[in-house]
Amino acid sequence: MSIRSFLLSSPIFLGVFLFQEAFVTQMRLPAGGFNLLLVVALIWSALSTPEIGALTGFGAGIGMDLSQTSPGPMGHWTLVLIIACYAVAFLGYGDDNIRGNPINIVLLTTIGVFLSQLVFLILGLMLGQHVGSIGNILFLLAGSAFWAAIISPLLLKVISYLHSNIFGSRAQL
Amino acid sequence: MRYGGDNRGRLLIIVLVVTTLFLITLDLRGVQVINGLRTGTQTALTPVQKVGSWAVSPLRNFISDVTHLGRTRNQIAKLKDENDKLRLKLQDRKVADAQLAQLKSVLNLAGTAGFKIVNAKVISQGSSTSFTQTITIDAGTSSGIQSNMTVLSGYGLVGVVKYAYANSALVQLASDPSFRIGARIAGSQQIGILSGQGTRKGVLQLLDNTTTVHKGDALLARGSDNGRPFVPGVPIGEVTSVNNSPGAVTQTADVRFYTNFSTLGVVAVVVSGASADPRDALVPPKPHPTPIPTVTIYATPGAVSPSPTATK
Repeated sequence: MSIRSFLLSSPIFLGVFLFQEAFVTQMRLPAGGFNLLLVVALIWSALSTPEIGALTGFGAGIGMDLSQTSPGPMGHWTLVLIIACYAVAFLGYGDDNIRGNPINIVLLTTIGVFLSQLVFLILGLMLGQHVGSIGNILFLLAGSAFWAAIISPLLLKVISYLHSNIFGSRAQL
Repeated sequence: MRYGGDNRGRLLIIVLVVTTLFLITLDLRGVQVINGLRTGTQTALTPVQKVGSWAVSPLRNFISDVTHLGRTRNQIAKLKDENDKLRLKLQDRKVADAQLAQLKSVLNLAGTAGFKIVNAKVISQGSSTSFTQTITIDAGTSSGIQSNMTVLSGYGLVGVVKYAYANSALVQLASDPSFRIGARIAGSQQIGILSGQGTRKGVLQLLDNTTTVHKGDALLARGSDNGRPFVPGVPIGEVTSVNNSPGAVTQTADVRFYTNFSTLGVVAVVVSGASADPRDALVPPKPHPTPIPTVTIYATPGAVSPSPTATK
């Protein structure tokens, strides 16, 4: 990842972080809503190389950890997102069946959101956090996966356009 | 071609993971720099969130209307007859009235108990992506709010101030899974520990297994030393069911919180408790059924019914 790519990517993620904190959290959507930064980071990673995916996860994770609603210690979301974004990028890299098909990217992102939250939950339990009833957890996990499946196709075109302009090495979806 | 990874890539992953573990360790050890980062971010975000709250409110109201469509159908049917201008005015007025009603009821509650409070508007609701239940209010340390202060609504307990920033504060709701509060049952004074479950339902665990708890019992906060984090006597909720397992060590009961956490608009932070414990004074009155008068008419077969006569 060149300095130019980093400098161009950072304001995008900063903007997404601000939008998430200022607007998305205000909407009080049913079934727990969605986390825009998480969805964007996973789509971005799905279009990138594994190294850039890991760096994206690191940056987005720091942002989510800085969020006032993050209950865990600093680095909790970062660790989860490094793993999740690297895994998503690794699965898609070099496989045009995944990378070239928007439906597969949406599917990968939705599963990524679900598993990221599950890993976050398990890690939280290991760090001694309280997570509430099983029913509520399942409801929130299903809700966030549902919202990710709704939001991802809407964002995919924009993110694909920005990604291809910044990295320039891949065909736009 | 499937990616196989190289040494540079593996090194990068290792460096990132080690950095993250280092951050987690520092935060768990309470290093001030990490806390300062979060505080600074929240201070910088507060004005943006206030603008966001103002901008998103029409959309939020729309989503709320869609969510509660079944309940508001009758109201919508009545409003259909009115013209557009009047309807718009009414919508604006409704928002203001709801906030005013919440403010009035919270002032009544605090006034009855003798609490000194600071009122605040809810400017953000925490994302449940992280499995927490929090709200952000638009008053902070500049208004005298500090962490570990009780937060009230007009119906009772909302939660406790977790972090206080210059012009905002993060409130942990009573429904948060990690929320715990010492509670007593109004009247019988039995004590127990109430914990949040992520929904409007809480679970009460009685400390003494020989005591009994009944459906409909009201729960109040026991209070803490110097009124922090909890002032005594604040209504929490009502027992909805009791779990009497024969082999259980302690008796538990399900509790429905008085406060509806999804409709919070205005809340109050108790900055100073009452000089005396209000005891059971804040227990909300139970609804009384309205008596319906009945008239019984006896009809006798063959009897001549009296005919009305005109009188001057």
